[in-house]
Amino acid sequence: MMLSENPFERRLQIAGVFLILGLLVEALCLVWKGPLAFLVFLGLGGILLFAGIVVYLFSLVSIPHSQD
Amino acid sequence: MAVPVAFLLLLILFCVILIAALFMRPGATITRGGKILAFLVLFCLPILCMSMGVSNQLERSTSTEFCLSCHTMEAFGKSLHVDDPSYLAAAHFQNHRVPAGSSCYTCHTDYTMFGTFKSKLRGLRHVYIYYLTTPPAPEKIKLYEAYNNRECLHCHEGARSFEAGAVHNSDPDLLPAIRANKKSCISSGCHDVVHNVATLNNVKLWNGGQ
Repeated sequence: MMLSENPFERRLQIAGVFLILGLLVEALCLVWKGPLAFLVFLGLGGILLFAGIVVYLFSLVSIPHSQD
Repeated sequence: MAVPVAFLLLLILFCVILIAALFMRPGATITRGGKILAFLVLFCLPILCMSMGVSNQLERSTSTEFCLSCHTMEAFGKSLHVDDPSYLAAAHFQNHRVPAGSSCYTCHTDYTMFGTFKSKLRGLRHVYIYYLTTPPAPEKIKLYEAYNNRECLHCHEGARSFEAGAVHNSDPDLLPAIRANKKSCISSGCHDVVHNVATLNNVKLWNGGQ
């Protein structure tokens, strides 16, 4: 699986990877009944989701302005 | 109200599929529709999944099953099945005076503005003690502070058995003292047999109603 050569699209893909990993951790913690599930949910899943959203938002503000 | 786990898992699956599709074709975000889809899939849906997941996890942490999942708490779980009505926790659990599915939380949360929050912080401390230190023996576990009558009165206040009970009315100063938390319900010699985990080996258990 190749990342795009376009910087904006590449950042979107990186954000997507973080978000997918975060969502998978979240799903795992929902079926895991142990007391540590909540900590992993927030500590790992939350950080991955946060990282994905930050990368996505960063990709939006880092688009070069067009010179009209 | 907690969101059903199955619904949340389906939402996560839906979100993962959309993100994967966007990963495969990032060029789709050139169009206005693609940009809106990216915003929904990379921002709105993950936040929705996260917030619903937090709600679900918080709700789960109030369940009796969750509290008893730590080995240290097994004796306290056993005390809920003592076949003796003088055991306060057992009498409440077996007669469904507290919801059987969240019996620990119902009695051990603080009914104050930040009571739930304080309960969660205590829970985090319990997880820390359980996994990173040596947890005390069940019979040595004590409450952080004296049990407040406020927690009992949350349900019993206004109930006929409490307001009109013969013992509660034997002294005119008793009910006001209970309400003011000046005379403890459980440590004044009235309802002082609660879990008593140190003596569980000598008592008969009742496992009906399961």
